[in-house]
Amino acid sequence: MSYTLEIQTKARELLTSKQVECVIGYEVGLRGRTRPAFVYDAQDVERLVWNQACTHNLTTYLNDKLNPQGPVKNKTKEHTPGRVAVVVKPCDSRAINVLLAENHFPRELLHVIGVVCDGILEKVGQSGNLRSVRQLPISDLSQVQSRCQRCEGHMPVTYDTLIGECPSHQELSLGKANQADLIHIQAMTPAERAEYWFSQFDRCIRCYACRQVCPMCNCPTCLYERDDSLWVGIRIGLNEKRTFHLGRAFHLAGRCIGCDECERVCPMNIPVSLLNRMLAKEVEALFGHRAGLAPIPPPFVTVLSGS
Amino acid sequence: MILLEERSNGKNPMLPYLGRLVKVKDLASDIKLFSVEMLDGGREAFKKYYPGQFVFLSAFGVGEAPFGIASIPQRGTSLDFAVNRLGSVTTELHQLGEGDLVGVRGPLGNWFPMDEFKGKNLVVLGGGIGGAPLRPVLHTVLDNREDYGHLTILWAARHPSLLVFTDEYDEWRSAPDTRLHLTVDQPDAEWDHNVGLITDLLEKVSPSPENAISITCGPPVMIYYVNQVLCKLGFKPEQDYVTLEARMHCGIGKCGRCNLGEKLVCVNGPVFSMAEVGEMAEGFL
Amino acid sequence: MKLTTREGLASWLDSLAHEVNLIAPRDIEGVLLYRPVKSSMEIVLEFINPVLSVKEAFFPATERLLTIEKTGQQITLNETLPEGKQVVFGVRPCDARGLKVLDANFTNTEPFDPYYTQRRSNTTVVGLACHQMSPTCFCTSVGIAPNDPGDMDVMLYRVEDGYIVQTVTKKGQALLSALPLETKELSQNGSDLHNSYIYDQAERVPVPEMSTWLAHFRDIYWEQVAERCLSCRICAYVCPTCRCFSVRDEVLSSENGRNQYERIRCWDSCAGEAYRRIAGGHNPRPEKGQRLRNRFLCKFVYYPRQYALGYAACTGCGRCIDACPVNIDITEVMQHIEEVSQ
Repeated sequence: MSYTLEIQTKARELLTSKQVECVIGYEVGLRGRTRPAFVYDAQDVERLVWNQACTHNLTTYLNDKLNPQGPVKNKTKEHTPGRVAVVVKPCDSRAINVLLAENHFPRELLHVIGVVCDGILEKVGQSGNLRSVRQLPISDLSQVQSRCQRCEGHMPVTYDTLIGECPSHQELSLGKANQADLIHIQAMTPAERAEYWFSQFDRCIRCYACRQVCPMCNCPTCLYERDDSLWVGIRIGLNEKRTFHLGRAFHLAGRCIGCDECERVCPMNIPVSLLNRMLAKEVEALFGHRAGLAPIPPPFVTVLSGS
Repeated sequence: MILLEERSNGKNPMLPYLGRLVKVKDLASDIKLFSVEMLDGGREAFKKYYPGQFVFLSAFGVGEAPFGIASIPQRGTSLDFAVNRLGSVTTELHQLGEGDLVGVRGPLGNWFPMDEFKGKNLVVLGGGIGGAPLRPVLHTVLDNREDYGHLTILWAARHPSLLVFTDEYDEWRSAPDTRLHLTVDQPDAEWDHNVGLITDLLEKVSPSPENAISITCGPPVMIYYVNQVLCKLGFKPEQDYVTLEARMHCGIGKCGRCNLGEKLVCVNGPVFSMAEVGEMAEGFL
Repeated sequence: MKLTTREGLASWLDSLAHEVNLIAPRDIEGVLLYRPVKSSMEIVLEFINPVLSVKEAFFPATERLLTIEKTGQQITLNETLPEGKQVVFGVRPCDARGLKVLDANFTNTEPFDPYYTQRRSNTTVVGLACHQMSPTCFCTSVGIAPNDPGDMDVMLYRVEDGYIVQTVTKKGQALLSALPLETKELSQNGSDLHNSYIYDQAERVPVPEMSTWLAHFRDIYWEQVAERCLSCRICAYVCPTCRCFSVRDEVLSSENGRNQYERIRCWDSCAGEAYRRIAGGHNPRPEKGQRLRNRFLCKFVYYPRQYALGYAACTGCGRCIDACPVNIDITEVMQHIEEVSQ
């Protein structure tokens, strides 16, 4: 059975038996673009698909659904949370562990439909590049995203239903590859790195899409947007943008699971995920911790609290 | 292209006039009454303004925020504003003392059609700091008492310490054909007036809608429920006036923030009749 | 009709860049944006549309309104109006229409905004007709066209031998008089050109009547579409007509008891959760569906009515469709509203 059919079948079963109120998955819109879908009715499960354009990390919607009294970001309705099913790729599934470790919602409210994923294509659901002058050569369109090329194991780390089969051998050799962009930056001198990043941040328009798409960025009011204390001014200027991006990277250290959605959504093609990956490496080197492999808090919590 | 000098008398609507704080008084818990004397060009700009209008006060270095004007020009040249300490601008304003300068942009917005209210009975309902934009209405009526019919004032707050203009109640009570009703949600030891919500008080007082106009100002929730009671008492939407609040950044209809559907609170309001509010697709609540 | 060669155009743009602030499409690390250029070499001439619209040149993302100096109890204010002549080159009809939409608010409704008005006054708009509509373009559905010169000062049309140059307004004429562009006369008639300038017609999108939008104000549809909305600000920031802004004072410097501040305004968007929250906590639009609905209704009902526009405030540029991370599509919404009204 194709993944699409498997997901549809499972969704139908979960909704009909009222095990869940809602299935968060993917659908294809009128222009042929894949996008998040919220299915509440068993009759609508045929909307759900799986394809190589399923780039979105759907766990970013879980807080709304399962913790309405909590973070107000992306708040929809006030309601007592019913159970929700969510379709996740291996990277997305790691986000669930981080959210669980941070006590956003109880695991029992979630039915995880984990997909053994072959990789998501480059430039799908992409903003900026569609209007840029650069036209991609055809061969690039069949290439998977660089985060997929770094993926270890292709298996969700947590699931209630598995779509696809556990890969027969772990392709661990691919995992550490394709960090070329990170290596390139690390070879720069601090002055060169500063120049690089400031030229990237210069294009930033503080649209906050990177923050909004991230499941781990869920503070009720972002530090960088506080109206009362104004830690950072409202100016869309280099100082403010630098503060936001670097600060956000630190706030995600040990928590970012590397889905790279932040970079995908940026309308200005800023390589946001490079910062997060850099800090993830640091955290791993210092504390031996990798985000999302298990529902344990990040080292900043465990180490600082003395546990 | 018309040159800049030909427009708006060359005056930049985002450039504030300067005014000096001549008096700062504690009005209620965390609420201060500021009296401001305008300087230079501001004196001319504020020679005439009407009940219901507002200004943007600048706490220089932090920003600006909208405040209803709580005075009338007929009673003196200084402008009064009630400032509740809630956010960064109001906190900064509360640090200021007599002699300090503030920025003032205005007068902005529309106003209560006091001339249309002449000869009518007025029911004025003020909740908490919502009483501030109603004070000019009361002063206008009291200073021209024969021009208006019965005056019924319902004044409310969550707690006695939050009631505003307590030093004027005697003036209001002693005016001819005028009744003042007070109520609080939570009384203190000295309280010996009504206890309960303004909606309960309104039902108790039960003013007649005959030849009457109601004017309400307060938190959105209060305006909403007061309006329901007024409906029950037979008031028609055309008889009910409110002054609405919305988050604003320019006050002059440019930044688009304060819209309620196609209306902008800063230029089509802040005074609306409930008939107008009823036509708005978007609710203010 | 006048024709200039590619070399003629390049040389004109070079001299223009010396005389005024010339803003044109530039490739900034793979992202096409309208940015100041120093020579024609930096300009990209073959493109659909830059990621951000030309509104940046008139209504910048951050603009200083005035400076404030505080010394003791003394306050000095200085308004900081924009100065200097600008030419924006390579403007598409959708963006030029966007400027007209912004004009209705900033320069045609009192009190006039002196900052935008000054920039508009000091800037000449040189357009470039499109050769093709991208799949997300729908300008023809909202009353303009890829070769529409109506909102430009000067309009260029790329043809095989170079560019046809059309002077549209007195301001355009003034620019070409001050800085002549080398051209030769063509026997071709102006209207012939307009009609013969072929572009691939994209499918038309219905534009519902204002009353139709309002009739569906309470539909659950808004909530359903908004469920995937991230409440970011991309759609408003790429849009040629969105104009919401915040105003704040920010510190510039502080020495010897002299404190300097600037009052600035910056782009903002009604999609943000905190957009309408007042001190004290009340928020009339706490739900994403309410905010999404506000943005679409503003384009098609509120803005046109508030500023007596006469047409929709959406110019069909399609940027929001491309840029939205979760594929919320304005044309899909327009089609839905039209369909449910049948």
